[in-house]
Amino acid sequence: MSVLKKLSKMFSGSDSKNPEAKEAMSEDTGSPEPANPFKEEPPVQRRVIQAQVIVDQAEEGAPTDQILIKAEPSRDNEQCKFMVNRPLFEGYSWLFSNFEEAAGSPLAESVFSVDSVETLLLHDSTAVVTKTGAKGLPDWESLAKEVGSAIRKTLQAETELISQEIVKKIPSEEVVREEIQKVIDTEVNPGVAGHGGRITLTAIAGNSVTIEMGGGCQGCSAADLTLKQGIHNSFRKAVPYVGAIYDETDHAAGLNPYYR
Amino acid sequence: MPKLNRFRIEIETGERGTDLPVHFTINNHKLPLEDTQGGVGPTETFSGGFEIRSFAHSLTLVGPESGQWDIRKMKVDYDCEHTPPYSVVFDAVTLDDMTEVNIWRDPPLPTWDV
Repeated sequence: MSVLKKLSKMFSGSDSKNPEAKEAMSEDTGSPEPANPFKEEPPVQRRVIQAQVIVDQAEEGAPTDQILIKAEPSRDNEQCKFMVNRPLFEGYSWLFSNFEEAAGSPLAESVFSVDSVETLLLHDSTAVVTKTGAKGLPDWESLAKEVGSAIRKTLQAETELISQEIVKKIPSEEVVREEIQKVIDTEVNPGVAGHGGRITLTAIAGNSVTIEMGGGCQGCSAADLTLKQGIHNSFRKAVPYVGAIYDETDHAAGLNPYYR
Repeated sequence: MPKLNRFRIEIETGERGTDLPVHFTINNHKLPLEDTQGGVGPTETFSGGFEIRSFAHSLTLVGPESGQWDIRKMKVDYDCEHTPPYSVVFDAVTLDDMTEVNIWRDPPLPTWDV
């Protein structure tokens, strides 16, 4: 390579990492680059791992014949999780998006009979209820009592909780996995790729799906919007029998998660 | 996300220990734990804390500079603003020079019987 070409590359800055260019510089100046005393060593980028949280068994309470229901509103106050000490839909999950969809499922009919209930998601022994109306209204304190009472009455009646039509609709885990993976590959990932993001299917349990948001989605402040308005809709439209959709991404991990 | 006033961690080391000081990161700033007691040798118990007075976007325990550190159990006590103090117990984990473990958990959500 001629000296002119080497100099041209050095000053254009287009090939500063090229060893030939560095070599040319030392050849031309005849001295090595001076050490910068203020230059800091880049921090070692460690991988953040997760340790499992140990739940105190005593907190879960002793077994009892009584129907015990605990209410736990979400931080944004939009939904409330009801944890019941017996199965509601064992091994599976189902989203009732409105009152009409609840027809034929006594438990869902009973919950939707409570004013202000907008949606109901059942999974194993939990029921997650979202409410209509403005944020904060009505108060979960009173609404949760009504929902809890509706769940308890249905359980006491000892009838079938979920319509058999719904149970028959749910295919095997392999089919759910295949269908969801197809939606991720053909619709979701091409959509988020423009923002440097990618979605990975991490687990299927019954018809419940767990995903992880990576790349540009991992620390993005709009990840929740992407999840709820983009991914949920795509999954439910293409795979109508999908139940709960969970995101297990650690959105705060990494060096600058909110600025990537 | 609440403001974390201070936290204290108690670490039970398993078969493979490490050397002091023990470092943690708060929002990716690496610092040594203060007000420490005990050791981090095999089967030893160590405790230390730090007065943070800031919002914890991330809080991690940093692995050793070399070798592996078997942690049998960790208990973290958090003191956050406008929230009653709470504790979280973490299960076993092994750290090395390329890993750190997340020790931040949001305050528990209020629950009640209905």
